Amino acid sequence: MNVAAIGKGNPACRQSVTRHRNIYIAAAASALLLLMLLPMVHWIFLNETEALFDVMKLKASAVKKLSGSYSVFTFLSFVQDSKQGVLGLWSFILLMIAAASAAFHLWGLGLFFLRKKAAGGKGMLPMYSRIQSGMLFSLLLSAGTLGLILFANNHYGMAGFRAGAPVYASAAVSVIGYLASKRMEKDERTLRREHGFLEEVRRNWILFLFLVPCFVFFLINNYLPMAGIYFAFTQFNFRDSLFASPFVGFKNFEFLLHSEILHLTTNTILYNLVFIVVGNVLQIFFAILISQVANKYLKKTSQTMIFMPYFVSYVILRVLVFNVFEYDVGLFNNFMTSIGSPKVDFYNTPSYWPWIITVFYLWKNIGYGMVVYLATITGISSDYYEAAQIDGANIWQQIRYITVPLLKPTFIILLLYALGGIMKGQFELFYQLVGNNGTLFSTTDIFDTYVYRITTTQPLSMGLGTAAGLFQSLFGFIVIILTNFLIKRKNPEYALF
Amino acid sequence: MKIRDRSGRGFDIIKGILLTILSLLCVLPFIVIVSGSFTSNQEIIRNGFSLLPRGFTAEAYGTIFKTPEDILQAYKMNFYYTFIGTALGLIIITLTAYVISRKEFKYRNKVSFLIYFTTIFGGGMIPWYLMYANVLNLRGTTLAIWFPALITPFLVILMRTFIVGAVPDAVVESAKIDGAGHWRIFWRIVLPVLGPGLATVGLFQALGYWNDWYRSSMFSTSSKTWSLQFYLYDLVNSTQAMRQMAQYADINTADLPTQSVKLAMSVVATGPILILYPFVQRYFVSGITVGAVKG
Repeated sequence: MNVAAIGKGNPACRQSVTRHRNIYIAAAASALLLLMLLPMVHWIFLNETEALFDVMKLKASAVKKLSGSYSVFTFLSFVQDSKQGVLGLWSFILLMIAAASAAFHLWGLGLFFLRKKAAGGKGMLPMYSRIQSGMLFSLLLSAGTLGLILFANNHYGMAGFRAGAPVYASAAVSVIGYLASKRMEKDERTLRREHGFLEEVRRNWILFLFLVPCFVFFLINNYLPMAGIYFAFTQFNFRDSLFASPFVGFKNFEFLLHSEILHLTTNTILYNLVFIVVGNVLQIFFAILISQVANKYLKKTSQTMIFMPYFVSYVILRVLVFNVFEYDVGLFNNFMTSIGSPKVDFYNTPSYWPWIITVFYLWKNIGYGMVVYLATITGISSDYYEAAQIDGANIWQQIRYITVPLLKPTFIILLLYALGGIMKGQFELFYQLVGNNGTLFSTTDIFDTYVYRITTTQPLSMGLGTAAGLFQSLFGFIVIILTNFLIKRKNPEYALF
Repeated sequence: MKIRDRSGRGFDIIKGILLTILSLLCVLPFIVIVSGSFTSNQEIIRNGFSLLPRGFTAEAYGTIFKTPEDILQAYKMNFYYTFIGTALGLIIITLTAYVISRKEFKYRNKVSFLIYFTTIFGGGMIPWYLMYANVLNLRGTTLAIWFPALITPFLVILMRTFIVGAVPDAVVESAKIDGAGHWRIFWRIVLPVLGPGLATVGLFQALGYWNDWYRSSMFSTSSKTWSLQFYLYDLVNSTQAMRQMAQYADINTADLPTQSVKLAMSVVATGPILILYPFVQRYFVSGITVGAVKG
């Protein structure tokens, strides 16, 4: 019975011919769609150019730069040269979709060529999923292009734009490719005893329901705003308003590169490195110290007291720091006067501030990390220590050879989380302690304060602010992806994701 | 044996001293703030701060509550934001954490990564602001102040660690065999043993809301929706600016809120959250462990 069931349920034997035909169709569709994304394949054509340029109020010199047709990738240059910011956001999103579809097609094709030789665990399923994502993005790209053309024609009140053949061809090919891949995938799933997305929804629909609020939140708060990266490539002005300000390409980035970026990057990274290194060393030190204290009362009270600064808001920290370091009535200068020394003008001397900021960061955050490490230490089995004592290990040896090595996983996880935010400054800390005191910026300005300041004080630099934010985000992203990759290669247990 | 005992005793004393010093350093600023708030302003200017209030007086508190409308409004808003943000956020975080803790859920690692991804890449502050202010048009509403902080990715991961630790897989499996669905497992099995997790995550959530000034500064159009910290920030900021100018120009600083009033405000603004802390502390002192993104 078993044998019969396997023979019947194993489509790999019976349908191998269709199998192979479908897999080649899917791969060929992928390759074709990739070709159609190349810049020389033109998707968007201009109609009645003279009338159109008239509506756009273009000068002859600007018209000279324009041509009659554009690909998805070059359409942004049309937006820039013709100064039609209105079309910018839409074509930028198209570009993102095009990039995503290209990435998925390439990934899928890569798997297609490699997996020929070795099919592991899940067989070809990952390949199908990549190819299908690529197909869906291609379809979306065609639809989006048609949408853009519709929108533009509507905006200018004339049929100035027309979709080229590749738009429709791309849509048709992606549908065919998707269906072919879906057919193949179904057989493969039966073979591998894996179920697809719909089956998972049917089985665990209540879990999906649980995720709905979370999904809505991150969509609104994080994922949809990512489209706003577009503003990094624009030059905001009030006349054209937000969504129609001119597209300027990489001009904002060039400006940043020539002025602030080096100084902001080094400041942000140096501060974070000091916070991470000194913070972790002190946290581990005090966690071990507390774990070694026998007196329960001292143990508990000190834990409570060391955690307390974590509850202070940064606004109150500002009051505190101001009261200590202020020139006239500050605690410090009062003390200096009383011992007959000259006063120190902290709020006009940048060199003191890295120290002040670091000290107050540590003051506020030692308790938290310490508790995390302490929880790990509490979890270490006492058997280890007893065995070590029997072997005659003293307290230092026990710490050195048992506690510290067992803290390593916690340390690496905390380190990775911290590295994920290496380009993110402690905005509230810096902003509250330094505020808009320009004298101190040379040593205290980090990306977050820079972006906040230029957007709140100079609304016209919105593009510049977004560009700085994007650079910060990308840089940090690359750092954490690389670090995690390296750690995963060395020891997958320690990897963060 | 003898040698170890002796080094142990010496070590004990050093440990005690070090810990005491650190603990005192941590609470010192609190003491300075509280005693400063009970000192008269002239005393502070003349002699600086001290550990115990000299010439004990509560006049700073009197000044604050002489015209209490503004501060009471800020207090009310703060309680509102903290309550709604903590309650709603805690529910969503727990539901999400439950889902990504379930081994049989096929996409748990993908979902965790998508949640974590928001902490390492994003559009940045400006697109985020434009989303709420220009696209959703929420400037000036209270929704814009509490909504954006409902879920903190790190707290989701923390909560998942709590769930995995509190509910062994075998328990869930046997409940399933007995015919319980996820709904029932969540309410009847997971939630009842999740006390420490709820307390810890709830405290962090409440702390985040209580101490927030940033969203009020971004989305408020009138002082009616200001949170307490932003009210304090505004007060401090304006007087600080005036005082700095007074260094160079001749400005009468007599009418500005005094040092002791600012300190009293700080006490008033920190109070409630610090009162909450001891009740919750026993849960998380043993409980905060961090896990990786993947489950």
